[in-house]
Amino acid sequence: MLRQICTGRLSVSSACCSVILSLRGLSPNNVVSRSASTISTLVDSFTLKKKSEDIVPVVTEDVEVETGLARGPLPLITHRELNYLPFGRASRQAWMENLDTIEEQKLGLVDLHPDVFGTFPRIEIIQSNMQWQMLYKKVNWTFAPSRAELPGSQRKPWPQKGTGRARHGHRKAPQWHGGGKPHGPRGPKSYYYMLPFDKRLHGLCSMLSVKHAQDDLKIVDTLDIPTDDPKYMEDLVDKRKWGVSVLFVDDTDIAPKNLALATDSIGHMNIMPVYGLNVYSMLKHETLVLSLAALNKIEEKLVFHLNRHNPRPPTARKIHKGSFIS
Amino acid sequence: MSMKSGSDWALALLRTLPRVGLMNLPREPFRKHPRTGRGQHGGKLHGGPQKGSYQRMSYPRLGWEPRKVPWYVRVPMENYYKDHHLKRQYPPLSLGTLQLLIDTNRISTDEPIDLTAICNTKLHEVRPQERHYGFHLTVDGIDTFKAKVNIEVQWTSEAVIAAVEKNGGTITTSYYDLHSIYAAKDPIAWFRTGKPIPKRMIPPEDAIEFYTNPKMRGYLADPEKVAEERLVLAQKYGYELPKIEEDPQRDLLLKRKDPRQIFYGLEPGWVVNLRDKCILKPKDEALLQYYSN
Repeated sequence: MLRQICTGRLSVSSACCSVILSLRGLSPNNVVSRSASTISTLVDSFTLKKKSEDIVPVVTEDVEVETGLARGPLPLITHRELNYLPFGRASRQAWMENLDTIEEQKLGLVDLHPDVFGTFPRIEIIQSNMQWQMLYKKVNWTFAPSRAELPGSQRKPWPQKGTGRARHGHRKAPQWHGGGKPHGPRGPKSYYYMLPFDKRLHGLCSMLSVKHAQDDLKIVDTLDIPTDDPKYMEDLVDKRKWGVSVLFVDDTDIAPKNLALATDSIGHMNIMPVYGLNVYSMLKHETLVLSLAALNKIEEKLVFHLNRHNPRPPTARKIHKGSFIS
Repeated sequence: MSMKSGSDWALALLRTLPRVGLMNLPREPFRKHPRTGRGQHGGKLHGGPQKGSYQRMSYPRLGWEPRKVPWYVRVPMENYYKDHHLKRQYPPLSLGTLQLLIDTNRISTDEPIDLTAICNTKLHEVRPQERHYGFHLTVDGIDTFKAKVNIEVQWTSEAVIAAVEKNGGTITTSYYDLHSIYAAKDPIAWFRTGKPIPKRMIPPEDAIEFYTNPKMRGYLADPEKVAEERLVLAQKYGYELPKIEEDPQRDLLLKRKDPRQIFYGLEPGWVVNLRDKCILKPKDEALLQYYSN
């Protein structure tokens, strides 16, 4: 059903716009619904407009046909309210871009929290996060049986004296061919451990700061794109010099349909919800694209944990290597 | 209010560095295990083996480096002549000597004077094996210099340029690499070897600035800027700049070599056969391309 709506919307001409608008009303949870009104409420929440002035911008039909998406007058955003701003540090800034055209358009300017996007780049903490992410899911399955576990006779192969041969007591002793392995790998062995909470927190903040400092962090208004053609995304990434691999992060579990279809066949462009954002994926992808809503959520959570009053939550307990499954 | 914090400096530095990725992360430094023992009095072995300086704690004195003179005893060394044997040398030739050579008909002012003309006097020579890169025209005898010449030297100073240009002459500084110096200092000997005339190489990195400087009349400088600097220099030293355009010897004075050329009238790549009195020119495309670049 949703697929039909999307494709139908692209194919119809401007004469059928009333039909499209009526279809839009039918689909509250997909791409089509995330248009001007959603954006304007988002923007309003950061520009501190009153809710009573919640004006849905009037979308002309020309704009609808031209870009596929409607937005309010530019700039959409110039200022964000930042909580817990540290003394003596200015907010860092980033452009807000669009995804609905291949050419980049600057839609506004976003303030970023300096504790999250401008913190000291602790590369070694990033490395320990990466190592943790690689290790905690690893299980070493190698196993070598000891002499007791090997099948076969437990008898002394020949008498101690009188045969003229070397003395032996066991055919499966380690020095025998086909014998047991002393102190060998005793798998399955789990490498699970938990990195301390602070290291995970500062790892994320450092990684986001590094991404922003190296111009690899892009902030877009929404992840809606006008077509589900993979060529469109490839052209867009190529044109904007975003490198090969791109990670899109949105605040919802359900990715925009067009983006999901367009990036589905491209292995190096991936979509992720906010709660899945992690250091390893950010390292792996060259460019990180955050929607404005995702940025809000990420920043809100990280700033909360950086300034919380109980600094040792239960999750901050260090779980040592081997204390789960030995 | 805001100020530049340490994080800002670090992030600004990171901006110039390669992208942080999976393959270029440094490891978190290991926490070293304490070397001391764990019993009373810190253990009886002091963290070391059961013998030797660690157990007896007979540590070397501070600043001790084995097999080296300690840094606080060492005499500081300034290598004044460091890489001296690699530097470019320019044997001096004074303006007075040049005037003497002209007056005694060792050098003709009817031809442009270059490295070959000076070496042909057999009174001055360059030794490329001693890293002589040509002549340095010095100011000695500047008061008695009266000749009007078109001279090409390898190094000079501003006063010399003013002296030459005041008399209506022109001066160029041009670079010859050592291989070209071998050909230029004695053309007959070079032609006898049967080797083609080499092409002159462009100056090394530290000499580019000098040879592209119009104030130093560099051979790679823009001719329009050189003309402008001639006027500026005349105003600085207070003489009237003779007009070369109206000079009867105009063609002589404005004769210049190509930056790749060593001898007037001969091009790089040509082979001069002295016995048959003929010139052999390359025809191969690769050779032509090499010598034309």
